[in-house]
Amino acid sequence: MNAETQTLAALAVVAIAAVWLVRRTLAKRKNPGCGGDCGCPTGEFKAKLQRNKAD
Amino acid sequence: MALPPHISAGPAGGSSRTPVYALVGNPNCGKSTLFNALTGLKQKVGNYPGVTVEKKVGTAYSQHGQPMTVIDLPGAYSLAARSPDEAVTRDVLLGRRSDTAQPDRILCIVDATNLERNLYLVHQILDLGRPVILVVNMMDLAAQAGLSLRLSQLENQLGIPVIPCEAANGRGIIELRLAMSRPDLPLSRHAWAVPAPIAPAIAEIQASLISHDHKGPLIARAEALLLLTDQDSVRVAGSTPLHPRTAEILRTWEKRWNDEGTDWAGSLVNSRYDAIGRLAAEVVLQSGTSGPTTSDKIDAVATHPLWGWLVLGAVMLLLFLSIFTLAEYPMNWIDAHVAALANAVKGAMAPGDLRDLITDGAIAGVGGVIIFLPQILILFFFIGLLESTGYMARAAFIMDRLMSRVGLNGKSFIPLLSSYACAIPGIMATRTIEDSKDRLVTILVAPLMSCSARLPVYLLMIAALVPGDRVPLLTKVGIMLLMYALGTVGAFGFAWLFKRTLLKGAPPLMIMELPPYRLPRLRDVALHMIERAWIFLRRAGTVILGISIVLWFLTAYPKAPADATPAQQLAQSFAGRAGHLLEPAIKPLGFDWQIGIGLITSFAAREVFVSTMGVVFNTESSDKDTTPLRKAMLAARWPDGRMLFTPLTCITLMIFYVFAMQCMSTIAVVKRETNGWKWPIFQTAYMTGTAWILSLVVYQAGRGLGF
Repeated sequence: MNAETQTLAALAVVAIAAVWLVRRTLAKRKNPGCGGDCGCPTGEFKAKLQRNKAD
Repeated sequence: MALPPHISAGPAGGSSRTPVYALVGNPNCGKSTLFNALTGLKQKVGNYPGVTVEKKVGTAYSQHGQPMTVIDLPGAYSLAARSPDEAVTRDVLLGRRSDTAQPDRILCIVDATNLERNLYLVHQILDLGRPVILVVNMMDLAAQAGLSLRLSQLENQLGIPVIPCEAANGRGIIELRLAMSRPDLPLSRHAWAVPAPIAPAIAEIQASLISHDHKGPLIARAEALLLLTDQDSVRVAGSTPLHPRTAEILRTWEKRWNDEGTDWAGSLVNSRYDAIGRLAAEVVLQSGTSGPTTSDKIDAVATHPLWGWLVLGAVMLLLFLSIFTLAEYPMNWIDAHVAALANAVKGAMAPGDLRDLITDGAIAGVGGVIIFLPQILILFFFIGLLESTGYMARAAFIMDRLMSRVGLNGKSFIPLLSSYACAIPGIMATRTIEDSKDRLVTILVAPLMSCSARLPVYLLMIAALVPGDRVPLLTKVGIMLLMYALGTVGAFGFAWLFKRTLLKGAPPLMIMELPPYRLPRLRDVALHMIERAWIFLRRAGTVILGISIVLWFLTAYPKAPADATPAQQLAQSFAGRAGHLLEPAIKPLGFDWQIGIGLITSFAAREVFVSTMGVVFNTESSDKDTTPLRKAMLAARWPDGRMLFTPLTCITLMIFYVFAMQCMSTIAVVKRETNGWKWPIFQTAYMTGTAWILSLVVYQAGRGLGF
């Protein structure tokens, strides 16, 4: 891979990483920053509970 | 009061939808252990009260493979909630939560060694008119304590299935699954006499709850009883408020009784206790004389006013010694392999931006952080052992005297202790604190406890400060202990200040149950270690990788002329310019613009400082070989040729990280827990301000003394 191709590939990777970081930071989450310890229910369980409630 | 003895078909009886079980019980009676045994999940368990502060949801399966949803609720002594975690339990059970369906059935777990006390909550739950299964846990410990339980008698009296269980070793789980799979769970037929003067009020509130709040007759009766004994209760976000008419009826009755001088709440509670006392007398038989238990004997030393402190100090010393000694070999192994990987990439690829991105960005950034994995694992192994054995509650007891002097609630100890791992679960654990001001003070100071994200920063600085084997191991341990002590003293100092200024309140009291000592459950400890390792690696592989990649770009662009040195390239890059912009503010602390880049990026998370140093200083490594970060940092110089990372600078930088609020996730959680931006902004300002001032004082004083 020559230097120019490497530059293009590197810039593409950087752009993807930057967009991902910005989206992650701005994303509105119901339970932000749980640190993995809070035990908040997964989307699957939440959906199941909602279904039960609707029944 | 007697509930109608009819049979509940329940959702398992013919309905296609998944039945929802709520798992409730007193704190530290084994709820999470039972939840894990039923669902196969790996929720955190610990031998101290207050581990679960939020509901957790999992799926258990009946003997026919049908799924059953189980909600693990925070421990509560009563449905009259005094703290936010107890309020979550009460509101889920009463169907007050808009985000959670009211459970169809209830698994009520009690501690066999303390049945009478546990029955108060059971008694309230039976009033709810839902099918209940009573799980009597820790039967082995009850037998060891000389207690004999007549469970058939209990089953007859309550009219519900009673399952003896030892959740920790899986005994009784099959029987429990069978009971949970029953489509025809009976409703309780327990009876107790509601005092006559209060009965009309209960009937009127019940009628209003049925007509205005759309509750079922039985749940309305239970809620009416609760409302009359729960007037000081905690309300939490997400709870459905009472209909104004119901609230008005309640106020009218309360006013009438107040005017008459009737202690309605006391008489309700007393009549419940009378019923429980009679029941316990029939069920619990004590054989032999009860002398001091093994736990009592250990506690004579572990909670002694003098020996207790020595034991605590020895435990902490052992923990930090292990972090330095046991982790050395795996760390060297990871270090060597990270460097070998970077060199292999350099050897395999032609020079260019992509190669630099991989080696100087991704590998240097992520590799610089994952090297600390062994030490993180050792830290959590020890924390897991202390939690599992029950020593944590003793540590809380020992610390309570000190904490009450600074105005902190003894219940703050567990949140503060959790914050040594990560401030986020620590802040969430403050939900067990009843007093809102005490809770807020604890939230404000919790991030001052040195979390595991600071560990890589401390270790890197200690490695730079005292390189090689020239300095005894105890010196390194001493510096590390000093940093942890500094954070703890800082937390206590600010708590003292806040309790006397912003958040004045009455002196706190702590009532905490000391659980019996148990042998550590290595499986739980290992699961906790794996969970923390996974969180650490996931962050390294996601956020830290992403930041390292972007940071590489910021250090590599805009490009300097082809003949520029790596130092010149870094200086004129985007990151270099940002660092230079910050330098006037941090130069008095002994930090240059390169360290400034680390301070900016580590606002995302503290350990990003290490990966940033990896990226910044690897830009100066040769094309063919990657320099270990510590060596690269020691080679760094000020423009006038002075060493950048002098011992004084390293100490100052550690002090900065002890106090600075460098964690976006923590800020987000504080915002959520305090319902606004006011306190997180205040917290960030006071912590970062303190970090800057103390760093300035230490650096300038050190310079003045000739260091």
